[in-house]
Amino acid sequence: MASTRFISRTLGRVPKAPINRSLTTSATQHIPLLRASQSTSQTQTFNGISNRTFTTTPLLRKGNTMGKIKTQNFTGISWNATLLFILTAAGLMVYFRVEKERLQRKQIREMSKGVGKPKVGGPFVLRDLDGKEVTEEDLKGRYSFVYFGFTHCPDICPDELDKMAAIIDRVKEETKSDKVFQPVFITCDPARDTPEVLRAYLKEFHPAIMGLTGTYEQVKHVCKQYRVYFSTPKDIKPGEDYLVDHSIYFYLMDPDGDFVECIGRQDTPESATKVIMDHINDWKREGKPLKNY
Amino acid sequence: MGWLPWSSSTPETPKSSDGGRIAPDRSSRERCYEGRDLFFSCLDKNDILDSVKNDKEARRKCGKEIAEFESVCSRAWVKYFKEKRVMEYNRDKTIEKLKKEDQEQVAQMKARGWSPR
Repeated sequence: MASTRFISRTLGRVPKAPINRSLTTSATQHIPLLRASQSTSQTQTFNGISNRTFTTTPLLRKGNTMGKIKTQNFTGISWNATLLFILTAAGLMVYFRVEKERLQRKQIREMSKGVGKPKVGGPFVLRDLDGKEVTEEDLKGRYSFVYFGFTHCPDICPDELDKMAAIIDRVKEETKSDKVFQPVFITCDPARDTPEVLRAYLKEFHPAIMGLTGTYEQVKHVCKQYRVYFSTPKDIKPGEDYLVDHSIYFYLMDPDGDFVECIGRQDTPESATKVIMDHINDWKREGKPLKNY
Repeated sequence: MGWLPWSSSTPETPKSSDGGRIAPDRSSRERCYEGRDLFFSCLDKNDILDSVKNDKEARRKCGKEIAEFESVCSRAWVKYFKEKRVMEYNRDKTIEKLKKEDQEQVAQMKARGWSPR
């Protein structure tokens, strides 16, 4: 039957698509099929009855024999059964899909844990905007959201930082806390981006963003840890204007300081918030500690 | 327009008190984007794609716009946006070309009796 074929197909598929899409397809795939068979039988049965030109509702066929009545009742039951079957199947599909997504997230998370060193992130020493030393230990205990950029960036960083601001507000709203999620901006251009410059710059995007800078060597080291490519042009005369090439990703780090997932240019504030919230909720569900102060 | 600190007449960006270089803020970024868009729409009108390579022509035909653009954006940004314009044009062309090739291939396969699922 069409329904079984449909289910096996959707179950086999990688569940990247939103859940509700499967439900709507199941509905649209079934109803037209059944309607089609119904209407053909109608036209066959009532072909030639001319006084029913203006209605398409089927005439109630009166069962005049037990056999006919039984058939009628039987079709009724099978309709209910079909509906029940579809609902159960849809329910199971939703459950399996949610569960599979959760396991996939877990897998993504575990990839950077366990054996050996984490692939992205790690120890670093930088300074915050008050000149206080900040290391990877200071970010532990909450989810951190790390972005690398520079204040003289023409258009991409400002766009991405506006996106970051939108994400911060959404996550704050959903977690009902501004403590579990720490947005961080690390400059790739420490020569120009001193704490004062960074403070003025970041203030325009979101007050919650933690700005970090350091010596050129410190910044180079942290970029290497996060596998961030960046290049400052050589032989710059003092005061001369230049751009810094760098990779543009947000890095979501879990409260253990391990890398979880990347958020890129293609993500919207909505999709990014969903990714982040899924991870935060998994973490909470597993009963792991999360700072809330 | 020398009143903008990072305009071309003063190539040095302003210094912050702790020795950093102050970056354009939101409103000066907006001003720069507006200057860029005006200049680019003039280039579009005159069928100029690469205003780095065709600098003379661009300056002749869009003199006012380029002067404004260069006064509201830093030199590095001007160069960046000019290059980005060419890069994006080529990227879009390539995508278009690939899409067309793809459609042609599908049409060919359909003609051979293949049906898309």
